[in-house]
Amino acid sequence: MAWKFDKPLYTLATDDQNEQAKYVWEHESLGGIMEDNNRLPQAVVWLLVLTIITAFLITAPLWGQRPMAAIYEEYIALMDSPEVAKLPDDEAKMEYIVNTVKSQGSKWAGHQDRHPLTMNDLRLIKDQIIELQRENAHMDYYTVVGKDVALANFEGEIGDDGVKIRVQPSWDLGYTIDVFYVLYFCIAVMIVVKRLPPSDWQPDHSIGH
Amino acid sequence: MFKYLFAKNEDIPAGSAAVFFGFSSIIWFIIGTGLGSFNAAKLAFPDFVTGSYMFAFGHMRQVHVMAVIFGWISMAFAMAFMYITPALGNTKLWSEKLGIWTCFNWNGGLAVALCLMWAGVTSGREYTDFPWPIDLIILFAVLLPLGINVWMTIVHRKTQGIYTTNWFFGAAIFMLMIVVLVGNLPEYFSLTGLTEAYLTWWHAHNILGLWITPVAAAIAYYTVPKITGNPLYSHRIGHLHFWSVVVFYSTPAAHHLMSSPLPEWLKSFASVEGVLILVPAIAFVSNLLLTMTGKWHYFVDNIEIRFTITGVMLAIPLNMQGGFQQTRAINWYVHGTGWIVAHAHLALLGFSTFLEAAAVYYGLQTILRRKIYSLALANFHFWFLLIGFATYWISITIAGLIQGAAKIYEVPYIDVVIAEHPYMIARWVGGTMVFTGNVVWLYNMWMTARAGTPVPVGRLPHEIAYER
Repeated sequence: MAWKFDKPLYTLATDDQNEQAKYVWEHESLGGIMEDNNRLPQAVVWLLVLTIITAFLITAPLWGQRPMAAIYEEYIALMDSPEVAKLPDDEAKMEYIVNTVKSQGSKWAGHQDRHPLTMNDLRLIKDQIIELQRENAHMDYYTVVGKDVALANFEGEIGDDGVKIRVQPSWDLGYTIDVFYVLYFCIAVMIVVKRLPPSDWQPDHSIGH
Repeated sequence: MFKYLFAKNEDIPAGSAAVFFGFSSIIWFIIGTGLGSFNAAKLAFPDFVTGSYMFAFGHMRQVHVMAVIFGWISMAFAMAFMYITPALGNTKLWSEKLGIWTCFNWNGGLAVALCLMWAGVTSGREYTDFPWPIDLIILFAVLLPLGINVWMTIVHRKTQGIYTTNWFFGAAIFMLMIVVLVGNLPEYFSLTGLTEAYLTWWHAHNILGLWITPVAAAIAYYTVPKITGNPLYSHRIGHLHFWSVVVFYSTPAAHHLMSSPLPEWLKSFASVEGVLILVPAIAFVSNLLLTMTGKWHYFVDNIEIRFTITGVMLAIPLNMQGGFQQTRAINWYVHGTGWIVAHAHLALLGFSTFLEAAAVYYGLQTILRRKIYSLALANFHFWFLLIGFATYWISITIAGLIQGAAKIYEVPYIDVVIAEHPYMIARWVGGTMVFTGNVVWLYNMWMTARAGTPVPVGRLPHEIAYER
């Protein structure tokens, strides 16, 4: 099985192999079915590239992340303050809390933007969050689901303090495996396809049919 | 069939096994969709047939699922294997007798297995509901003989090349055997917990991914070029499709268990691969639609092409849904709702059924050398199938979104039941339309065999569809 490497993106087969493949292709009838040798249309190539990029982007944790208890700690610390208490209604109170936390520069600013809530929501989760703070729990290991603050269902490695990490990773072994997997797939398919006669040749179907 | 079981192979007319499989598949389709319609009626009208343990939804539901997958879909595949594989190799089926025995074993075995399951003898694991002794019988008395017949036909072909369809056929049977063997490991060795859950869903995912999807697609690779007379647009894209099915379909499984305590890295890996299922889908759809270039009038004129291209086009929403609904961002909302049921029906009743129906229509006419008895009834079947399926799919998708919202906002269950009631009625109407269409189909194909106009030598059935 000879190989030719001088123009790898054009063909990986020798001239003899290509000629033989062309002969069989044109002279053989596969149950009356014919095949052309077209390359993938360029638009479809871009669609495939877009698909691969999307596969990584759409599965990135950012988009699927549920609100963590940690992102509401600053809200809860403020909600019973005199400044908030003197405001006339819940809407104004919430607006004040959000703006104050934002102006102080929270490390959870992005999460807070994506997961807004009302004063009533805050009241429902307040006691649960304070209880967790008393226990020195990892607040980012807990998610807020409706009126409940529950341990997240992520199951990571065991952390330095002996507690299982329950934060959605931004990058993990799965993505690394995926990168190599996709890479090997692309290389393997390129090899398979480049062993065929080059796509600038099209079979003459009038010979075998 | 019985007279051929003990006949000499040379005395059995070519195509007999395909014809028996073809009619078996239609009958199982009627049984499967009849059960589906019955089950849907129970969801739409909760007081319909109560008081009997045997007719409880929990007993009936998986009988419907398994009848459709292993009766209708898989037997239609077997029919396609029996006539397309030899046709593409310019040869005869390696053993008609083995094919007929396979058909006999399959029908008998499936009937026994479904009756047992109906009576409550089940593993209780979705898509591997049969107890393990039956799984082993399926493996060794059905799949192995089927595989031997297909592989040996390919080995004894009279061509040097192997057409794309036969790559899929040969590989899919092998892959299915592995899937059945490995997917049932929890039963052989009493594996429990996460291992059981993972293997169960690896099996369920790959029954779809490595069996139903590739074989259905392979049928389209045959019917479109064969009937239109156009060359397949690209042999190269066929390679991309084949290898991307093998690579990207085989790996996701954890994406069925995104909220389970499986390792996060496994879920991340599966989720990316889950989106990459779009790679074979794009390759398949673009290759087939480009093959239609200049022959789009067949989409209107020809019943087999209409079925096939409808199936090909349904692959687009199917894979868009499948690719994205499993990501963390979407799965938390739709998981455990009717959305998933609608998606499963888009795969089995939409995409694959339309492709298989084309294969059965074309195969029976070609082998029997009879023109279809009534094109009007075939059109009736097509439209009842399409409208019935669409009604089902859309109504359950909406019901699923209602359930998803209710799940998140903790709406009382009974309120959800009331909200989705109209959609459950629509589901029953759609499913019953499909069932009705199939009864008409069986009549039409039976009459084709008995009273269809003979096809002259040298002509193909679709060429004379409009000739009187």
